[in-house]
Amino acid sequence: MGDLLKVENLYAKGSGEEILKGVDLTIKVGEIQALLGPNGSGKSVLAQTIMGSPKYKAIKGEIFFKGKKITKMSPEKRVKLGISMSWQSPPAIKGIKLSNLLRKISVRKDFKVKEAEGFLEREVNLDLSGGERKISELLQIFSLDPQLIIFDEIDSGLDLKKIEIVSKIIKKEISRKKASILLITHSGTILNYFKPNVTNVMVEGKIICKSNNYKKTLNDIKKYGYEGCKKCKSSV
Amino acid sequence: MKGAKNANRAYEKSSAPVNFLQIDHRVENISQPKGTIILPSSKAWENFPWVKSLFKIKPKEGYFIWVKEQGDMPLSTCLTISSPKTVQNLTNILVVEKNIKAKANVLCNSIKNNLCGTHKAKGKLILREGASLEYSHIHKWGEKDFVNPDYEFFLEKDAKLVYNYQNLLPPEKLDLITSVHSKENSSVQMNFVINGVNSKINLKEKIFLEGDNAQGIMKLRLVGKKNSQIKAESSVVALAAGKGHLDCQGLLVDEKSTIFLSPEIICKNRLAQITHEASLGKISEEELNYLRMRGLKESEAIDLIVSGFLQA
Repeated sequence: MGDLLKVENLYAKGSGEEILKGVDLTIKVGEIQALLGPNGSGKSVLAQTIMGSPKYKAIKGEIFFKGKKITKMSPEKRVKLGISMSWQSPPAIKGIKLSNLLRKISVRKDFKVKEAEGFLEREVNLDLSGGERKISELLQIFSLDPQLIIFDEIDSGLDLKKIEIVSKIIKKEISRKKASILLITHSGTILNYFKPNVTNVMVEGKIICKSNNYKKTLNDIKKYGYEGCKKCKSSV
Repeated sequence: MKGAKNANRAYEKSSAPVNFLQIDHRVENISQPKGTIILPSSKAWENFPWVKSLFKIKPKEGYFIWVKEQGDMPLSTCLTISSPKTVQNLTNILVVEKNIKAKANVLCNSIKNNLCGTHKAKGKLILREGASLEYSHIHKWGEKDFVNPDYEFFLEKDAKLVYNYQNLLPPEKLDLITSVHSKENSSVQMNFVINGVNSKINLKEKIFLEGDNAQGIMKLRLVGKKNSQIKAESSVVALAAGKGHLDCQGLLVDEKSTIFLSPEIICKNRLAQITHEASLGKISEEELNYLRMRGLKESEAIDLIVSGFLQA
């Protein structure tokens, strides 16, 4: 498998503060990786920086996608290259119906999710339930037909049944395209659906652990906390 | 006539014929549906003594529309500037008789961007008892035009008005004055969608709730782009036991534009109830980034957020 995404020694800051402090991350074609870490460790900032959010500035290091340097590329160009991200708390776009937004952004014009039919004619993310928002994110993301998808806590705020629905939609779509995913999460439930190839642990702006056994990583975190990860001998 | 063709083309969204078409100072077409009298306002002033009571001075130009019987098609007017430096001084009159329901699509425009025209319009619109009017007022101007409409609406008992104003293409300077006088049980809903693009725009809108149970809602959506200066002085005045609401919201798209909102609610009757909400802001960075991460260019994302704001 070739490298799809390569993040090399990435430092990034937002609002004057250095948040990412030397992140290394490689995701291969078709690979499923998880990213765990305590609140405020920089997981969402890493996701936003990979997407090119103007809110965060890469001050050192590089990001490559399909071998192409994208560190300074605009977010929309990264999307065109095949990277997408679902937001943890997507903003409402008042006055714009979801169906209207989909018409503007979709690469796959025929892509549908039956769970979204009830709110296609409602305003984007406005007054949607937590579950509806996640489905809306999936609908938008897969309409873009991406090769790499970053799911920023797609499972947060969902009950077990909803996590199952969301996971099934994702699994079906990534197997169709052989897309790679980076799953940012706090919970083991969704990891049981995806069984990631690599599980990364991020603490204080740096990935300090990479493991091929997500269950062991989850158990270790449960037992020793993220503080234990810092002391662990198998840390990267 | 080339001007007439262009004016009609400007009206392409409507499938109905234009009932009154004036280009510069010439009346090009009048088409009267059954039960409706349509004349140049100067002729109406001569023909009908009651019209003289509306305007002390004989009108020079503009339309007179008197809806006497129920029709089945929307009325449409088109007032166009086609020649450079034309100064229109219009007097427009629209009367909807008792219990008649009418719709009017009104377009005022320039056929070119650089005509430096002036469009002044004084209007009196009267809705008799139980009458209903949905009035859609569209402006499409050139960058160098000066536009000054001053419309007064008179709603008799149980009348209903929905007034939608939208400037699709703003002039260099727009002074828009609108007032509504609402009698007992009448209702008015006014929606103003204002785009400022390198424009100076002054708005003065007032709803007077003059009869018990009169209801008035005024909604403004203002967008300031490219060094625009927009000032909106809006008020709802309750003189009787009516209900009113004023909703003004502005969005600044660039650093050089300014929006000045002055919402005013005045209550002169202790049984009246008036509320207002007002807000001004810039485009949310979060929304912008979100849409860019859906593949839209920055300019496309801004346009989408603005169009959503104007519709919300």
